[in-house]
Amino acid sequence: MDSFNAITAAIFLPFIFAGLIPVMEKLLKQRVGWFAAATALTSFTLIGLAAPEVLGEGHIVQGSISWIPSAGVNFAIYADGLAMMIGFIASGIGVLIMSYSNGYMSQKEDLKRYYQYLLLFMGSMIGMVFSANTIQLFIFWELTSITSFMLIGYWRHKPESIYGATKSLLITAAGGLAMLAGFLLLRTITGSFDLATILSDPQVINAVKEHELFLITLILILIGAAAKSAQGPFYIWLPNAMEAPTPVSAFLHSATMVKAGIYLVARIHPIFSGTDAWFILVSGIGIFTMLVAGFLAFRQTDIKGILAYSTISQLAYIMTMYGYTTHHEPGIGVAAATFHLLNHATFKACLFLVAGIVAHEAATRDIRKLGGLRREMPITFIVASIAALSMAGVPPLNGFLSKEMFYESSLEMGALLGGGFTFLIPACAVLGGVFTFAYSIKLIDGIFLGERSKEHLPEHIHEPPLTMLIPPAFLALLVILFGLVPSLPIHTIIEPTVSGILLETAHLHVKLWHGFTTSLMMTIVTFILGILIYTRYDRIAAWQDKFNARFPWISVNYYYDNAVNSAKERAFRFSTITQPGNIKYYMTAMLLLMIALVAIPVITLATNIVPSTLNFSIAPYEAILLLLLIVAALAAAVLPKYLPAIIALSALGYGVSLLFIYLKAPDLALTQILVETLSTIIFLLAITKIPQKYKEIIPKSVLFRDLAISLAVAASVFVVLLNATQGIVAPFESLSHYFIENSLPLAGGHNIVNVIIVDFRGYDTLGEISVLCLAALGVYNLIHSRGEEQ
Amino acid sequence: MTTIITKTITKVCIPLVILFSISLLLAGHNNPGGGFIGGVMFASVIALMYVVFGLKYVKTFFNPDWAKWFGFGLTLASLTAFAAMFFGHNFFRSAVEFVHIPLFGEIELVSAGLFDIGVYFVVIGSLLFIFKNVGDDNE
Repeated sequence: MDSFNAITAAIFLPFIFAGLIPVMEKLLKQRVGWFAAATALTSFTLIGLAAPEVLGEGHIVQGSISWIPSAGVNFAIYADGLAMMIGFIASGIGVLIMSYSNGYMSQKEDLKRYYQYLLLFMGSMIGMVFSANTIQLFIFWELTSITSFMLIGYWRHKPESIYGATKSLLITAAGGLAMLAGFLLLRTITGSFDLATILSDPQVINAVKEHELFLITLILILIGAAAKSAQGPFYIWLPNAMEAPTPVSAFLHSATMVKAGIYLVARIHPIFSGTDAWFILVSGIGIFTMLVAGFLAFRQTDIKGILAYSTISQLAYIMTMYGYTTHHEPGIGVAAATFHLLNHATFKACLFLVAGIVAHEAATRDIRKLGGLRREMPITFIVASIAALSMAGVPPLNGFLSKEMFYESSLEMGALLGGGFTFLIPACAVLGGVFTFAYSIKLIDGIFLGERSKEHLPEHIHEPPLTMLIPPAFLALLVILFGLVPSLPIHTIIEPTVSGILLETAHLHVKLWHGFTTSLMMTIVTFILGILIYTRYDRIAAWQDKFNARFPWISVNYYYDNAVNSAKERAFRFSTITQPGNIKYYMTAMLLLMIALVAIPVITLATNIVPSTLNFSIAPYEAILLLLLIVAALAAAVLPKYLPAIIALSALGYGVSLLFIYLKAPDLALTQILVETLSTIIFLLAITKIPQKYKEIIPKSVLFRDLAISLAVAASVFVVLLNATQGIVAPFESLSHYFIENSLPLAGGHNIVNVIIVDFRGYDTLGEISVLCLAALGVYNLIHSRGEEQ
Repeated sequence: MTTIITKTITKVCIPLVILFSISLLLAGHNNPGGGFIGGVMFASVIALMYVVFGLKYVKTFFNPDWAKWFGFGLTLASLTAFAAMFFGHNFFRSAVEFVHIPLFGEIELVSAGLFDIGVYFVVIGSLLFIFKNVGDDNE
């Protein structure tokens, strides 16, 4: 299998197998999770098939299938090191998560729905990272938002789940729309939706950097990335997303989905980096988020809450490093950021899984109630400690290495900028590290060390089953392995990834011991300050709580809740103004608009309203038919009861179909007759349920107003029709030649009307039949929701 | 509406009209007809049945879930649109193939025909879904 096909299969396999889950559930019962895990493993293997070509030989696998080529939208794949790395993380961690879920999820849960969502999410994530076309990327991007919405809201009976799910969808999906706007602007600049085309041409990249739309494009795309990766003011959705089942949090909120924003930043790095705007925006958001989230983590009492804030701050590290760039040296921190990206996936997913074990066994996640579990869960304790110490940056674990690289690149960036930045940037980095150290230690201390609380915890707590223990243990092993033998991940995956981002071959040398460097000093300072802060941990948390109670408006959540809670009320106020409920009102608005639409061109073009050449010859049968139509129309308007009015209306419809027959349009006539019949029957069904007489008293002024509007509409329609045959605008060539000539050779049909409907304009028809389905569902809801309210 | 005459005529009409609607659907590519008209034709004869025999009575022996019909139709139509992509063409590209069958003559197989069948099911399903719900509403 060639690499392109393998990757395409890896993307679509989860989608197809998600559809098979209900069938498999009947066969395997509660073991269906293993099927999902096997699917993830298959995707992982399929991506692995492309690895020798991409990672080994350094090629970039590309390929595309036409989708909507006229709009530049194709299904296109771009597999470089970066895409491979995130693809491996998504599918690899997916295997662990789905295996773990077999132990975690109770058998009473709706497992079908759970694994279907997980697989759909994984497919979307893999599809997203391998997308070369920005529109395709956007589609998969929003699919990850939607599937994560469904996963966070998995426990539908819990209001907190609903709240968290809604929040994450509102923020990440809205960010995605901003990103789409950014991609459209990028297309305006470069003329292409294809990332591969843009990345392969240095001239195009230069043109982007010099274009006047550069800044706004960058900001829009970054809004999408920041919303997805919970950076800047958008971080508020991630803590609430912790209402999801813990394996979901481990998967989405530590290892994969939140990396999507980081991935995007890395992907557009070659296009936008090396400019001041890039450094200020990306590093600025990163440093700000790193400090704020690290500081806010103190207040959290839920283990998953701490982990959520730590994820936000760790992602901010990566964001900051991707932002380090100057005109002469773009990409100072790229290697460090990429390495930390990988390391974070290992230790954070591990920590989340441990949090799941603790909650599963001790029945609480409140860190104030936990403590002293090291005796009862020794293996979990060791696994958790490895991961937490790695996050804290303690040697010889992998987190230490990437943190050293973070400090190094911060020093380098500070030195390059000069002035006050020489110290400011490394100082910010160290401060972020200090916070990280403090909350990492808190996790271990709070759960496993100290005294065991008797009143809150169950009497016997034991190690979880192996299904739940092996995945985090495996991740902890990776943490140690990457720490002790850094050349292993560096050579196999980090170097190709960095080459992919920087668009040039990269060689990295990462060693555990690299001498007494400045960054090592910074690490030592971090540890000392970290321990100092940790001794004040509870006091800081208490102070934060007090502060927040006094100034609630300081938090971003305050504004979010305000906006969302008052949305209903505002929508109500808005709709009472614009939709008073009387059809007459809407009709008036529409008709006035119609008059304006006719009046404006007539006045501005100042053409002769009545054309000079008019042909008034009407055949007698046409005259009779027209007379009948006019009588029917008048009758429909003036008859005092519904029933006769409807019959007059259908008479009008049948009259029109007669006209169609005269005009040699049997298709239209047939349709008209049938639709008329059906709509009359439906009308009659509905009409029997309402009072049969109009009892409306209309004041004279309103009557005259309505009369004036009707006459104006009739007059404008008359003018338009008079001019339609003469050409109010310059005549253009008729389209019908094309269809007459091509309907047989291209679509094989003699009936041009039908060929146009199902072939040439099939996309329109697809839209129309979707509208028909929606209308049917709308009628259903209209009838049934009314029943519920009563 | 429920005289013996209308009931008898309706019974005769139903199979004839359904056959006619299918023939309209299949003829659509070369002659007047097509998925939309065929679907409305089908829907109108079922509507006639509902009106003549009464919705309650009809539902005791004939009560399909019309929502499934339009769901199926929409899926079929969308799949037709995507199918071309698997053969390396762009979205919605249709294919025509002329096949010669002995004793029957030449017939043409058009992928757009499948799309038309999707339209047919959507029209039947959604119209009758609306019809049944409006007719079923007793308030």
